[in-house]
Amino acid sequence: MQTNLPANLASQGRVRTSPGERQLIQGVLTKERKATAHFVDLCTDWIYGFVHRRLMPRSELVEDMMQDILFAAWQSLPNFREESSLRSWVLGIARHKVEDYYRRRICEIEIPDEDNESEELAVMPLFDQQLDSALEQARVQKTMADIPEVYGVVLIWRYREDKSVREIAELTGKTEKAVERLLARARQAFRRRWNDARS
Amino acid sequence: MMPARNVDNEFRSLLASSGELVERAPSSLKARLYTCFVRRQQESGPLSSLNDSVASGHGVCVFEKLVQISPVGEQVKSPFFCHVCHARILAEHFDNPPIFWPNCPYVMFKKA
Repeated sequence: MQTNLPANLASQGRVRTSPGERQLIQGVLTKERKATAHFVDLCTDWIYGFVHRRLMPRSELVEDMMQDILFAAWQSLPNFREESSLRSWVLGIARHKVEDYYRRRICEIEIPDEDNESEELAVMPLFDQQLDSALEQARVQKTMADIPEVYGVVLIWRYREDKSVREIAELTGKTEKAVERLLARARQAFRRRWNDARS
Repeated sequence: MMPARNVDNEFRSLLASSGELVERAPSSLKARLYTCFVRRQQESGPLSSLNDSVASGHGVCVFEKLVQISPVGEQVKSPFFCHVCHARILAEHFDNPPIFWPNCPYVMFKKA
């Protein structure tokens, strides 16, 4: 496979694509079935945990999302410049696809102008229980499954992915105030379900 | 009123710690993704011939070998033969399917 790497990158040791990966890429690009199987095997293991964690509890979306990511990776392989490992590159595509999904979900909804976050803060109690981590994880998944999908998406984006309100607003085309309101509603719904499950 | 920062920290700590487990992909998922991937590849033209697979150092399964050594043209050696193989069907539906042929991609997914 032709590689066209900047000399300074190579000399700084920043090129991390192995000869095995180059051969694999070449095989996939020529549609060689065994190389393709190996590529799918590797990529699937690399991205499964990443995608699963970010789409839970919507497990029914995982397979379609992984198909999209693999296909996008294949389409972009001719542009792979070997400035990172194949793994990092594929994970970058996965991140982009998941964020695109979050963005679309949030863009689809209308966020009303009037809402009062302070009311949420005053009324809703803190999570008052320290749970064993496996139990807590199961309860988080259950609660996320019970709230509207867009609430789960915005909570994951904000608190698991650590995106700022400003970033979410920029990516979705909403105002920061609208994102704050959406987050407040999402937190409120989450807390309500969390506390309902306890009682 | 509770400061907003505490609310953020509370949710961050609850959500960041959940879903941490890095899971390996189930073999049946890999099998379905591989089949789908190859079908997408075929939309833009035939796969490379089995002779190319062997020439590039890959093993082929017993069924593919029969085709590969046959005195037929390259075009006949290009279809996705797994499409008609029971190993594919079993692998797409079960995570530990009873398939054992060397050089079968679906067996490789099971082992991974």
